[in-house]
Amino acid sequence: MSAESDMEYSDNDGDDYDYYGGQDDCDMETVDRSKADPEYFVFSCLKVEEVEKLLNESIELLSNSLHITPSLAKVILHAYEWNAQEIINKYKENSNEVLMYSHVKPRVPSVQVYSSIKVCAICATSPPIHKYSALACGHYFCNECWTTHFEVQIMQGVSNNIQCMAQECEVLAPEDFVLSHVTNPTLRERYQQFMFKDHVKSHPELRFCPGPNCQWIYHAVAREGARRVECLGCELLTCFTCGAPHHAPTDCATIRKWLTKCADDSETANYISAHTKDCPKCQICIEKNGGCNHMQCGACRYDFCWVCLGDWKSHGSEYYECSRYKEDPNLINDNQHAQAREALKKYLHYYERWENHARSLKLEEQTLACLKTRINRKVMAGEGTWIDWQYLWDSARLLKRCRYTLQYTYPFAYYMEVGPRKELFEYQQAQLEAEIENLSWKVERAETTHRGDLENQMDIAEKRRTTLLKDFLEFNTTNASSSKV
Amino acid sequence: MAALPRRIIKETQRLMQEPVPGISAVPSETNARYFHVIVTGPEDSPFEGGLFKLELFLPEDYPMSAPKVRFITKIYHPNIDRLGRICLDILKDKWSPALQIRTVLLSIQALLIGAKPGRPTCKRRSRAVEGE
Repeated sequence: MSAESDMEYSDNDGDDYDYYGGQDDCDMETVDRSKADPEYFVFSCLKVEEVEKLLNESIELLSNSLHITPSLAKVILHAYEWNAQEIINKYKENSNEVLMYSHVKPRVPSVQVYSSIKVCAICATSPPIHKYSALACGHYFCNECWTTHFEVQIMQGVSNNIQCMAQECEVLAPEDFVLSHVTNPTLRERYQQFMFKDHVKSHPELRFCPGPNCQWIYHAVAREGARRVECLGCELLTCFTCGAPHHAPTDCATIRKWLTKCADDSETANYISAHTKDCPKCQICIEKNGGCNHMQCGACRYDFCWVCLGDWKSHGSEYYECSRYKEDPNLINDNQHAQAREALKKYLHYYERWENHARSLKLEEQTLACLKTRINRKVMAGEGTWIDWQYLWDSARLLKRCRYTLQYTYPFAYYMEVGPRKELFEYQQAQLEAEIENLSWKVERAETTHRGDLENQMDIAEKRRTTLLKDFLEFNTTNASSSKV
Repeated sequence: MAALPRRIIKETQRLMQEPVPGISAVPSETNARYFHVIVTGPEDSPFEGGLFKLELFLPEDYPMSAPKVRFITKIYHPNIDRLGRICLDILKDKWSPALQIRTVLLSIQALLIGAKPGRPTCKRRSRAVEGE
C-alpha cells in the first residue's frame, strides 16, 4: 500500500468523522441539553391549582401513613419543610418528639380539668360548659373568644402559626380547628389564601414568580448556585435558589452583596465622584460650594487651584493659567483617602457598566417590540411568511439573552480577586461584549444586514456566552474539578 | 362606643379592690379604656424612691391584642426610649390574651429592676448601662 492512498483514506475518514460528529452534536442537544446550555436547569412552571394538587398529595400521603387528620398533617409538614419521608421515619422512631417539635402537642400539658371550668379566662363570662374548647394542650377557652382570637390573627396575616391563647403556650391551631370557629366567609377565604402562600414559601421545591401580579409558581429540585427559571406568564428570569433576578455567572451571595451595595452606595458614590475632589496635600475629600477656583483646604490649610489641583502660589501673582500640563501624576500617596477614592473609582467602573447594560437591555426590549410589528407588517404585505422572518425575532431574543448575561458578569468581576483567573474572565468578558455590540448593531439594522451575516454573528455571540458560563458558573466549575479528581 | 366588655370591667374592679403593691392604675373619667398609671421605683434598683407616670390604653380588640403602654415621666433605661415607648416582649410578639393589665404592669415594674441590655429600644442608653 502506498503512502498516498493512506493519506486519502485518512482524509476521508476525517470528513466522515466531522459529518457524523456534527450529527451527534445535534442529537446531544435534544437528549442532554445540560451539555449545550451551561445554565440548563430542570424546572416546571405551575399554576396555583397544580401546586395545590402537589401539596395535597404530600398531605394525603402523611395523613394516611400516620393516621392523622389532613389539618394536622399540614401543621407537621410545614414544620418539617414538607419532607414527608423524613417525618414518617422520625414518627416511627419517636412520634411524641415529632408532634412536640411541630407544636401539635405541648411540651408541658395543662393541668386544667374540663369539668371544673366555670369562667372563661379571656372574657370573664361563664357560658355553658359545652361552649368551651381547647387544643391538644388542654387550655380551655370559650368558643366566642377563640373566634375573636382567630379573626384578629387572620386580619394580621397569620395563618399557619396561630398559637393557643394561653400564656407561653406554643401549640398551633390546625386548620380544621380554626375553620370550625371562624364563620365570616371573607376571613375564611383570606385564611386559606395566607395558608397557601405560607405553604409555598416553606416548601423548598416551590417558589413564587416574583413578577408583579404574577400567579405562576416554579417547581424544581433545590440545588446550590445560580439556577435559571423562566416564568411562562411574565417571562421574567429568576434564580430559583435565592429568588433574585437570574444572575449567572455571579453566585447568590455575591449578587445579594452587590445589589445591596448598589442600593446603598450608588447615589452617594455618584455624588462624591461628581462634586468632590481630594485635597492634593492631605487627600481629604472636598466639596466645592462657591464659584472661586482658589481653594483652601479646611483640614490642612493648603491653597490650591480647583481646576488643575496645583499650588495656588503659582497662580496668584502671575496670569491665571492652569491649562499647564500636569508634571507629576505620581503625587498620589497610598494613604487612606487615596485608597478610598481608588475603591470608589473601581466600584463606579463596574457600576456604570452594569447600569449601562441594564439600560441597553431596556432599549433593546423596545427594539424587540418594534421588530414584532415590523415583521407583522411584512407578512401582511406578502413579503414572505413568519417563518421567513423568524430569524430576526430569534436574533433579537438572543441579543437580549447575551446582554443579560453580560450585565451580570460585572458584579462577578467586581468581587473577583486579582489573578490569572480574573484576567481570563475579563478577557472572555471583553470578547463577549465586543460580539454583543456587533450583534446589537446588526440587529438594529436587520433589514440591510445579510441574513447569513446576522446568523453568523448570533452564533459567535452565543458561543462566547456559553464559553464564559461554562468556565465560570460556580457549580459547573466545581463539577468539572470534582470530575477531574 | 360599644358597651365595655365584661373582661375590662372585671379587671378594673379587681385593680381597684386589690391593687398591686407599688402600682396604681385608675381609669380615666371620660374613657374607661384609658388608664392613668403610677409605678413606684422598685427597691434596690436605680429607680428606687421615684414615681413614674405611665399611660395605658386598651385597644378595641383587647384582650386579643396587647394594651398600649408608654412612660410619661422621662426615664433613663435601656429598654425605654426618649418618648417613653417600652421594649417588652409581652407587649409585642409574646402577647397572649390570657395576660392582663395587672400582669403587664408587673412586668414593667420588673423591667425597672433588671434591665435587658441585649434588646434595647435605645442603643446609646444600653451601652451606657453595659459600661457601668
